[in-house]
Amino acid sequence: MDLVLQLLVNGLVNGSHYALLGLSFGLIFGTTRITHFAYGSLYALSAYACWWVTAKLGLPLVAGFAAGIAAGAAAGLLSYGLLYRPFERAGSPPLVILIASLGLFIVVENAIGIVFGTDTKVVPSPPASLFLVGPAAFTSVQLAQLGALVVIVLGLWLFLSQTRFGRAVRAQTDNPEMATIIGIDTVRLSALVFALGSAIAAVPACLILVKDGGTAYMGFLAVFMGFVAVVVGGIGSLRGAVAGGYALGLVESLGLWKIPSEWQSTIAFVVLFMVLLFRPQGLFAGRQ
Amino acid sequence: MDYILHVLVMVALFAILATSFNLLIGYSGLFALSHAAFFGIGAYATAIVALKLGLPFPIPLLMGLAVTAVAGVVVALPALRISGDYLVIVSLALQVIVIAVMLNWTGLTGGTDGIRGIPRIQILGASLDTAAKFLPLAVIVAALCYWGSWRVGASPFGRALKAMRENEAAAQAAGKNIVAMKLAVFAIAAALASVAGSLYAQYVTFISADSFTLELTIYVLAMVILGGTGNLAGSLVGAALLVVLPELLKFVDLPPDIADKLRQLFYGVLLIVMLRLRPQGLLPESASAHHYLAPAVRPRVDRPIAAAALEGRGLEKRFGGIVAVSKLDLALAPGRITGLIGPNGAGKTTAFNLLTGFIEPDAGEVAYRGRLLKGLKPHRIVRLGIARSFQDLKLFTRLTVLENVLVALPRQRGDHLAYVYFTPWAVASEERANLGRAMAILEFVGLQQRAAEPAADLSYAEEKLLAVARLLATDAEVLLFDEPLSGLAPNTLREMQPIFRRLADSGRTLAIIEHNLDVIRELCDTAVFLDEGRKLAQDTPERLMQDPVLAERYFK
Repeated sequence: MDLVLQLLVNGLVNGSHYALLGLSFGLIFGTTRITHFAYGSLYALSAYACWWVTAKLGLPLVAGFAAGIAAGAAAGLLSYGLLYRPFERAGSPPLVILIASLGLFIVVENAIGIVFGTDTKVVPSPPASLFLVGPAAFTSVQLAQLGALVVIVLGLWLFLSQTRFGRAVRAQTDNPEMATIIGIDTVRLSALVFALGSAIAAVPACLILVKDGGTAYMGFLAVFMGFVAVVVGGIGSLRGAVAGGYALGLVESLGLWKIPSEWQSTIAFVVLFMVLLFRPQGLFAGRQ
Repeated sequence: MDYILHVLVMVALFAILATSFNLLIGYSGLFALSHAAFFGIGAYATAIVALKLGLPFPIPLLMGLAVTAVAGVVVALPALRISGDYLVIVSLALQVIVIAVMLNWTGLTGGTDGIRGIPRIQILGASLDTAAKFLPLAVIVAALCYWGSWRVGASPFGRALKAMRENEAAAQAAGKNIVAMKLAVFAIAAALASVAGSLYAQYVTFISADSFTLELTIYVLAMVILGGTGNLAGSLVGAALLVVLPELLKFVDLPPDIADKLRQLFYGVLLIVMLRLRPQGLLPESASAHHYLAPAVRPRVDRPIAAAALEGRGLEKRFGGIVAVSKLDLALAPGRITGLIGPNGAGKTTAFNLLTGFIEPDAGEVAYRGRLLKGLKPHRIVRLGIARSFQDLKLFTRLTVLENVLVALPRQRGDHLAYVYFTPWAVASEERANLGRAMAILEFVGLQQRAAEPAADLSYAEEKLLAVARLLATDAEVLLFDEPLSGLAPNTLREMQPIFRRLADSGRTLAIIEHNLDVIRELCDTAVFLDEGRKLAQDTPERLMQDPVLAERYFK
């Protein structure tokens, strides 16, 4: 029973991580309808920025996170302005934009590898403390992963419901045509969403860097899990993306109860297959 | 010398991968990121069969092919109902699962160590253990695979794939079974990729999961984009260039790790640059049919037939809480033109969708020639003789005008792969006859001068004519036109109206959705007035328009 409880805790922690990925990927995808595959390598870039500032410059972790978030926002903005926007202006079909995104993904991933090498990057982390909740244990990083989700979800909710820009984002997600008709500047909006989504993605990236270290290839799993969380939850729904992330984390972790750990990542994909076969609109989508 | 031959072997293997990938993404618009996985399944299946069971060539290849074709269908299954983004993620998931199996099913796959010592191919007692000895086999197999892809691509089936790529709903309305087409093309593409994998395994004799990652798919993708999507020869060129060019890096003194990353970086940049500057690739897609090859024989388009009445009884459809169509009884009489009028949102297009199987009614039934159409997919209903056009036309814009019509012709043997592969002469002679039929239809609507143009280059009025021509090509007895005349200038209107009259006079059953009451008055024998999903009245246009209540509703 203790094992199940610990697996549950781990599932919640990993679920928070996937939920953040789903939230940030889904924000960009839902609003702009761009399959931003390069999300993965921008995620890795943020982690490397954090590593550079803390391990190379010796600044505290807070500064590293700030650098990671800033790098993420800047890279997101640039990727929209320099890559996606020109394609949009040329009227390219979604497929072409997706292929271009794959191109950017592989360019950034390999550029990171060439500049920084392929070894695992670690940051001088604060002494890990262990928190006990009954028989289950949390490390401080795990607690931070849970907390980050709560803070970001609250912040994003406030932003989307209280600000003019946030309401425009929601309008754009619900009905892009209508958004254009009522005079929302969709280009500025997309740029903002790319910056915001990439900035949010930087947080789980930096947390994983502290927890497991970072490599040039860390981005693939991030974009993949973010994408899966969005599809499992239901495209176009941020609530669904968070729920999808938790569903993935929990299923994956509880699966370990009976399944050897090397198959852990495969469980998520089986979930995805099942969802697409039997409930293609997503588990948590309120409307089609 | 041996080095050059080795590079040539790799060109042959990648030519197989690039052409088969082109069938998927270029021809069919199915963007699956699992080609490396198919390649890998073929390689592993071959390695296991050849090493553990000791079976001789070509048994390992054929077994790999069978396993991989099944895997291709597995990817296609969840993607059948939905496409686009979902296919990307499902295929990516397959890619990840395949790598996980390779790495973790240690007993079968050797885990991270991979499989070593795969037996070489023996032919007539000779072991193909050098590049020089392997090259002829690689070239022969690649040529066969190219032929296999080319037969698909150049056939009416390949044209139907392109139509599906342009617009799935319109391909269905042209009588194409898009589910079967997707399954078939996935199975073929996966099987061809596995052939490359099989040869690769027995050529290099050592395989591991590292050789079959997403990076490989992106590499092959770069070949397809460089060469040109929808053009198989382009994929050969792309494969040759992208296998040979990176080899030049070998002559620069770089650590192998860095060189590898530089290569991949180059593929990424190449993808972006090509898509920006020359998205059609080095060799653009070309037309699959030419009007000047059409025989002089022109079958008559409006030959008399005896159509029957199409009846909808008690049709109901709700979307969420909104009633789109309610208790609708429609009887479209043969030899007549029935007009559907009513304000926007009255349920006119929904009525067409219900009659043609594009949406299932919540209640009620549709009957034609004593047969209930319940549960039939749109392409089956088209083949029974009931076809519809779309308000937004949904032309196959990157196909030529002629191809738009050709693809919709009914009962084509060339739509079936068995005929395409085993009786190509029958398919070719049928195609010649079909060219005559298609040109006859284009002449009927007056578009024969534009036959060779891409549909994207037509004027608005010509687009409308092409939509009519494509509908006629289905040879259906019941023709449902969704606003075929809207937005046209008065003189164009006058030129087009006789087309509908001639079709009705030939015995066909016509229905037209139209807002212009003058058109309804001149063209229709009877008109149905719909509002809020209900049929309010049916009468001659003259009498309907004199009804002050209806006039009030229409102009409110």
